[in-house]
Amino acid sequence: MARPAVILVGADKGGVGKTTVARTLIDYFGAHQTPTRAFDTEAPRGTLKRFHPEVTEVVDVSSVADQMKIFDTLGSADAKVTVIDVRAGLLSSTLQALGEIGFIESAKKGQITFAVFHILGPSIASLEEIAETARVIGDANYFLVKNFINNTTFFEWDPSTYNSYFKKIKGAEEITIPKLNEMAYEQVEVASVPFVSFVGNKGARGEAANNSFVLRGYVRHWLGNVWSEYDRVKLVDMVSPKIESNVRQVAG
Amino acid sequence: MSFRNSVTIAASPRPRVGKTLLARLLTDFYRQEGRSVAAFDLNFGERTLTQFLPEYATVATVRDIGGQMALFDRLVADDGTTKVVDLGHESFESFFALAHQIGFVDESRRRSIAVAILFIITPDQTSIEAYRKLRDRFAQATLTPLHNEMLGPAQHRGKYSLAGSGQVLMRIPVLAPGLRKYIETPPFSFADSNMGNAVGIPLDAHIELQRWLRRIYLEFREFDLRILLADLQSSMRLKS
Repeated sequence: MARPAVILVGADKGGVGKTTVARTLIDYFGAHQTPTRAFDTEAPRGTLKRFHPEVTEVVDVSSVADQMKIFDTLGSADAKVTVIDVRAGLLSSTLQALGEIGFIESAKKGQITFAVFHILGPSIASLEEIAETARVIGDANYFLVKNFINNTTFFEWDPSTYNSYFKKIKGAEEITIPKLNEMAYEQVEVASVPFVSFVGNKGARGEAANNSFVLRGYVRHWLGNVWSEYDRVKLVDMVSPKIESNVRQVAG
Repeated sequence: MSFRNSVTIAASPRPRVGKTLLARLLTDFYRQEGRSVAAFDLNFGERTLTQFLPEYATVATVRDIGGQMALFDRLVADDGTTKVVDLGHESFESFFALAHQIGFVDESRRRSIAVAILFIITPDQTSIEAYRKLRDRFAQATLTPLHNEMLGPAQHRGKYSLAGSGQVLMRIPVLAPGLRKYIETPPFSFADSNMGNAVGIPLDAHIELQRWLRRIYLEFREFDLRILLADLQSSMRLKS
């Protein structure tokens, strides 16, 4: 049995694009034939569920019942990868809860692969958050995601401040999500389908759609860039150990 | 695969080399062949193509996303129409950068639409470099260098490598200076049966013009055949 992997996608501010990143992750693992499930913490109405209804469940991470739903099923679920889209402001408390239930401990022992995607907002406040989050996490795979999709202005950050925080987390990797044309992004929103479906000109139920070729082109190009960032940090290797990926290659 | 239709792009990064004349000739040629044609005018400022072909040409732009959608979504549409693009030099870079980014040529091929680029050659380094880049970027398109003989002798043609077998340099032959005035005043259409009689072209000039046009149409016909041939060859390679 493969080791289950949990990826937490979070930020301390809303509107920095957590759900967008979670969507690209689900698409990415889908493209790599890695069964994935997702939990959306935007109870009661989940944005992530709207895009990936088949693999997503809306939960309340602060409730014990829902924590059981997520973590007690890690070993038994068909999906090897669990993506959790953590609602704005809940990243620290979620990590705290994970510590309390012994999840972080199992991750440290190597029973679970645990990664955090920390989506950075444009203000310095979310840098404070990095230091605090890093303290809780220890040596989990920590990814700092600079999300340019909605054109936040990281360029205005003072590099020395940024670096002093960045260096507090040993081994943290930086991921850059490039900008996607607004109209293209909006059309995917309207279509309410995964990015790959939009690119493939498919509707929510796999039926043929009539999306603009230009917008599909923009999305494909953008998604390719995002995925190459995930390739760069070897995300697939992280969630599925080497031997298995070799087997997949031989079989595939 | 067999191409049902084509998009032909008259291109050069230089101004005033005859792109619009080429686009007019192509449009009128396809009309004469009985095909349904749509032409796209990507020139800033003067809309020469639109003035000459008001019924067939549409003003297009790649400067904003609305324009990009209006243009490219139409170019890849499987609507039984042959398309001609008059690519103004100001739009050269952005048009091809976008086409590359959104996978225009691949999508067209998937929809059985051949993409051909007629590149008007000039001796400057910018054009030579731009041509080389197009070859690298659009291996699936038919990129053909074209010499507009009205620009003078093409001593630089060696700098434009020909891609694949059966590729040749196309040419637009010289038209006597005295005749140019007739074809350069809109409205004028090469496809009208009485070609320009409306503007009072003398008989001898008319005959000369017809002769010139026949040579060009012959080039276009061979060009069409080469696209067909390239398609045949690639499908034969696939099967073997």
